[in-house]
Amino acid sequence: MTIDLTQFHDAFFEESFEALDSMEAALLKLDIGAPEPELINTIFRVAHSIKGGSATFGFSDIASFTHSLETLLDELRSGGMQVSLAISDLLLKSVDVMRAMLRSTQAKQPLDMQKVSDLQFDLELTIAQKNSAPPKIAPVAVLAPAAPAVAAAPAAAAAPLAAPVTGASATSAAANAAPTAANPGPRGWEISFRPYRELFARGNDPLRMMRELAELGELTVHVDTSALPSFADLDSQSCYLAWKLELSGEAREEDIKQVFEWAEGDCDLELRQLGAPASISAAPANAQASDVTGTTPASDAAVADAILSGKPNAAAATETPTSNTVPGPDSEQSSPAPAVTPPSVAGVPAPVAHGGRSAPVGGASPAREPTLTAVKENKPDSPVAAIGDSGSIRVSVEKIDELMNTVGELVITQAMLSQLGSALEGPNAEKLRAGLAQLERNTRELQESVMRVRMLPISFVFSRFPRMVRDIAQRLGKQIDLKLTGEQTELDKTVLEKIGDPLVHLVRNSIDHGIEMPEARIAAGKPAAGTVHLDACHRGGNIAVEVSDDGGGLDKERILAKARQRGLVGQNDVLTDDQIHDLIFLPGFSTAEKTTDLSGRGVGMDVVRRNVKELGGKIELRSESGQGSRFIITLPLTLAIVDGQSVAVGSETYIIPLISIVESMRLKETAISRLSGHNEVFSFRGDYLPIIRLHELFGVEPRARALHEGLVVIAEGDGRRVGLFVDDLLGQQQVVIKSLEANYGHVEGVSGATILGDGSVALILDVTGIIHAASMRAAA
Amino acid sequence: MNKRKPAVAARATRRGRTARTNPGAGTEHKTAFAVAAECTVADAGSLKAGLAKLLDEPGTVTLDISAVQRIDTAGLQVLATFVRERDSHGRQVQWRGEAPAMTNAARLLGLGELLKLATQQ
Repeated sequence: MTIDLTQFHDAFFEESFEALDSMEAALLKLDIGAPEPELINTIFRVAHSIKGGSATFGFSDIASFTHSLETLLDELRSGGMQVSLAISDLLLKSVDVMRAMLRSTQAKQPLDMQKVSDLQFDLELTIAQKNSAPPKIAPVAVLAPAAPAVAAAPAAAAAPLAAPVTGASATSAAANAAPTAANPGPRGWEISFRPYRELFARGNDPLRMMRELAELGELTVHVDTSALPSFADLDSQSCYLAWKLELSGEAREEDIKQVFEWAEGDCDLELRQLGAPASISAAPANAQASDVTGTTPASDAAVADAILSGKPNAAAATETPTSNTVPGPDSEQSSPAPAVTPPSVAGVPAPVAHGGRSAPVGGASPAREPTLTAVKENKPDSPVAAIGDSGSIRVSVEKIDELMNTVGELVITQAMLSQLGSALEGPNAEKLRAGLAQLERNTRELQESVMRVRMLPISFVFSRFPRMVRDIAQRLGKQIDLKLTGEQTELDKTVLEKIGDPLVHLVRNSIDHGIEMPEARIAAGKPAAGTVHLDACHRGGNIAVEVSDDGGGLDKERILAKARQRGLVGQNDVLTDDQIHDLIFLPGFSTAEKTTDLSGRGVGMDVVRRNVKELGGKIELRSESGQGSRFIITLPLTLAIVDGQSVAVGSETYIIPLISIVESMRLKETAISRLSGHNEVFSFRGDYLPIIRLHELFGVEPRARALHEGLVVIAEGDGRRVGLFVDDLLGQQQVVIKSLEANYGHVEGVSGATILGDGSVALILDVTGIIHAASMRAAA
Repeated sequence: MNKRKPAVAARATRRGRTARTNPGAGTEHKTAFAVAAECTVADAGSLKAGLAKLLDEPGTVTLDISAVQRIDTAGLQVLATFVRERDSHGRQVQWRGEAPAMTNAARLLGLGELLKLATQQ
């Protein structure tokens, strides 16, 4: 039987890249000297799963590299080594290398193996140096009293793997059981862990799990060796062992599940809380521990008895594992026949549910319990939770787009029906309209739900910055504190993908140009470390993303001087602050004296503005000399729907995005002036704005030719305002954007199309494009 | 940093090589076996092959574990199967040397009793 593994490659790569992102995030959160154990575990798990996956798929280079990495991480985890800046750097570099390896493997392209082997060498070197250095054993927090373990911590000095563990050995189980029995207070868990044969092949090692469990509390281990074959038949790569574990202490269910997270699907796992009598009926058939070796059933039963506050005579029943008589309700420890559980207990809901599902309950016990399910839980108090490990399913974007499209059609059909219904007369017209109103409400809700599916938190973009800021700051010798807020603000995936690059530009600029060197900052009475702040929030129907810094702010004098020198501004022109700020968005504009690899080439800000514009957003800049600058990007929530004003020009309807509209007015004859040629302007609050006649631009026969007969919509685009001359305003509505490029081709001045309630098509205007097209016509 | 690389590298390699070339090269004929430094799932196959020759050895078999640095469940499973099978035929297995990594691992996996590691020092 051969399985074509290539079909899983994509999933592996995708998951690995995501895992690397969270590993990177965890690494950046890691405090030098006093690392959070959970973070190290997260990092370790990533390395471990990538190692397992790559080994399975035969990517031996990646497997070998991650093996070295994992060894180092294991040292950090067990406290054998401390997290230093050098190690943290090394780990970050490893993330890069792993990413590069995965990418080249994915693209089936050769990779510079020299870099890989160099880094691997460094990793091994670090481990080797540790081995020759005097060992440092970090204390491991264990609540349980120290077990009378035979080989305890001091002996661990020479062994790199020997973590100081206080789990109780099987032989000392009875001794440890005594205090537990005396005090029914501390609860615990009974864990039945039965790996499938292929557990090892998937890169899992039960030893690692035991070690992690032992850190959660006092662990009593009973191994089941009954499945071990004869030595000759033993397949060294298969797992034949199974375990029954008792973990006393206050460990949380999710902590335990996390230990077994990577074995998910490769084992049968059952958790049962000790001291919770109601869980008994859920005892599954394979929880029986008829073959426990290395333990004394009597003491076991006694412990169970005491903990479960059950009947004193139950112990007698449990001591006969072969007994098929009705056991006491407390005897799940060794009851071989759960099917005979007394009906009085059956039907009580089990308190321990597997991954959110409640365990099957009833007199007839299930043949096999569900294995550890794939649901990952959100733990708000865990440091890893913020990294984006949320309960989710993977759906391809096409499917969602398709859904979005269908819903768009539905909205149009609904609008069509509404329009039809409003004109109807008759005995049932009122009922029909009520139904249509309901339909409209439901359609809107459906549309919003589908939109939300496309929404992702902006943390997907923000997450790349800690690393970037750290690297740039290190290179420039600056001290930067990066502050991220509003990471959970959600916006459309398409917007999200396109906002990344502009933000990178802005953040780089802030660090390179904005934040001063530490000495200069101290001299200016500011803290040595500069702050770069990324913030996102909802503002009206838009998203505002802000990049601010507490650096020197824009040097207006220098910008102005440079602009004069380049002839962009007349020598005697006086510019407002806003106008000066606008200059930096011009193509090719840079005041940097020297060009660095980061910025100063003058490409950047204009690209940033263009990108933001393409998303239908705008960018503003506020800067105060010596205090820092703030870039505020305002973006629409989604690219799929736009709030629009529908206007009539002749028989056509056009949609102008509300975000571009300043106001609409009827012109008085006196406000209009005609310039040389064909150009018309009108006065608007002390400014003269050009008038663009839409009917001329689009070649439509208008109802109104005289300017005072129609209306002008004052619209803003590209920093310029114009008056768009239309026949009439029709109404405001949300319209679903249909791509013109995808269905027809690009048209200057039109950003898309939509279908109106009456089934006709309306073009959505792109104000910037219209201004551009009109000025081209005027120039021609 | 760069200057020190070769020295440490050489040492690391040397350690690996000694550990790997040792198996079976005991002085007590074929009844002694030195367990390699690495006894993880990748090495379990060769560990099993090495032990297979000693399975039916009538006398006491001595396993030298002093070199063991890393061992995982797969490695211990091979050893446990070996010991259990010899036990069932009344044949002894004796440990020589100390391997804290192995003792700890066996204890955590509940295999200490079967391997009789706990009573050996």
